[in-house]
Amino acid sequence: MTAPVTGAGAPAPQAPLAALLAASAALATGAVALLLHPSALALGAPTPTFLALTHTVTLAYLALAFAGTLQQLLPVLLVTRLAAPWLGRLALPALALGTGGVIAGFALGFQPLALAGGGALVTAALWATLVQALLTSLRARRADAAARALLAATGYLALTVTLGFLLAAAPHAPALARLLGSPVTLHLTAGLFGAFLLGIAGAGQRLLAMFVLAKGTRPGRVRAITWLVHGAVLGEALHGFAHLPTGAPAALLLAAAGGLQLWEVRAILRARLRRRLEPAVVRYLWAHAFLLPAGALALAGSEAAAGTALLLGFVVLAVSGMQVKITSFLTWQARYAGRPAGQAPLLRDMLAPGLEPVTTAALAAGAATATAAVALHAPALAVAAAALLTLGAWAQLSQTAHIVFARHRRAPTAPAAGAHPALHRAPAPGAAGAALPEEP
Amino acid sequence: MIPNLQTLAPAADPDAVLQALGEVLDPELALGVIDLGLVYDVRIAGGAVAIEMTLTTPGCPLHGSIAGAVEASLMRVEGVASVDVSVVWDPPWTPAAMSDRARRALGFG
Repeated sequence: MTAPVTGAGAPAPQAPLAALLAASAALATGAVALLLHPSALALGAPTPTFLALTHTVTLAYLALAFAGTLQQLLPVLLVTRLAAPWLGRLALPALALGTGGVIAGFALGFQPLALAGGGALVTAALWATLVQALLTSLRARRADAAARALLAATGYLALTVTLGFLLAAAPHAPALARLLGSPVTLHLTAGLFGAFLLGIAGAGQRLLAMFVLAKGTRPGRVRAITWLVHGAVLGEALHGFAHLPTGAPAALLLAAAGGLQLWEVRAILRARLRRRLEPAVVRYLWAHAFLLPAGALALAGSEAAAGTALLLGFVVLAVSGMQVKITSFLTWQARYAGRPAGQAPLLRDMLAPGLEPVTTAALAAGAATATAAVALHAPALAVAAAALLTLGAWAQLSQTAHIVFARHRRAPTAPAAGAHPALHRAPAPGAAGAALPEEP
Repeated sequence: MIPNLQTLAPAADPDAVLQALGEVLDPELALGVIDLGLVYDVRIAGGAVAIEMTLTTPGCPLHGSIAGAVEASLMRVEGVASVDVSVVWDPPWTPAAMSDRARRALGFG
């Protein structure tokens, strides 16, 4: 028998909840900004507005949600206590503040002071998050494949923002520019695949299996995805810095990693005990439908469209689905844990049910339309994509706010709690010292 | 799976203890911990109740919450003076431990 574990030891859920709320608000604001500047999408070029919008998604939404979630999720996956909680309390506001600076810096036409200040804050915040994650992992008895993938994702998030910071600084520092070259592809690979694919694969593997009650899944695929991404990032680094012909093999490794992620999700679904899937889980699953089109577009040479499908389709849909589950869990912990049995709502009672289908449909249709707008340079499609994404992002924000702030009650249709029927047949204990045999 | 119940001069009614346990729900699955087969052992000695239970997955995010809910629920049973909840992973939980009611609620079996 194993020794009892003394609890996940996660810190109070208020800080992660604040990060998830802020992240949702940033996504909704970014979608409105896209609605005001749809041409940025149709051009598909790295204009200041385009970069401000993409960093709203990658930093203000995804990185903030990731860093906030990590405060609770990593100790849970490692079955230990979070190390140095003060690092998280410092890193999350610094990340939010720095992200604002970076976005403003891009939106104002590469304003150097805002980019430098914001970039430095973001980089410091994500390195602090990485240090905290590594310290936490040192406390754990063991780290399984999912936890290792999440740790690697945290490392790649720190790497990609460091590269981004250096890329932004390079035009103002010729020596740095000569040294670095232009590792844009490495920056994108480390972010999209290193941070986000691995984060989704690691956290998703464990959480999806938990939400659908899947037993008997194997960690080998997540381990393989992690090593494939490591190989691809190394290939891109050698290509970018040493000019070796490793770009194409790196792309193949990324395609294999995406394929394995699809296989992994399929395997979890096949092993599940819970037949009926919740809407937020369905959205997480729908996200994977964007992996194949993204691969096909990359193969066809439309890399900007492939990146759009991957970012808005796969990553945003997957993260927004898991975000609903994580937000409801954190809120339940903060507000209802410890209430007498029967008086606390179930997690599903905390959702505004009408919003989930709207969020899924609007975000998925918006991502598909945005991909088409980038591929075809079609302004009309860009407007339609912006409208759909705005609807989806605001529905997501409304859901998040509803979960965190609304008064929840146990739905009357929820199954009543009750003892197992067999318990009523258990004979009453007799004299002192009587031991009841275990029932078959 | 029905929990193994052992008593020694119990100050609390064992049926009431089991009833209180059965009312503790997994808020994610909307099923009771007894129906899910999560409770392995219930030991009542005087007013002290010791529970040995597991969760469906090691590192379940609801670890602390469910253990806390079990403790809170049992502390309200008359005669219970203290509750000790141990979460163990060996033997690991399997779907075979679930009651028929839980299986039906999850859509299989």
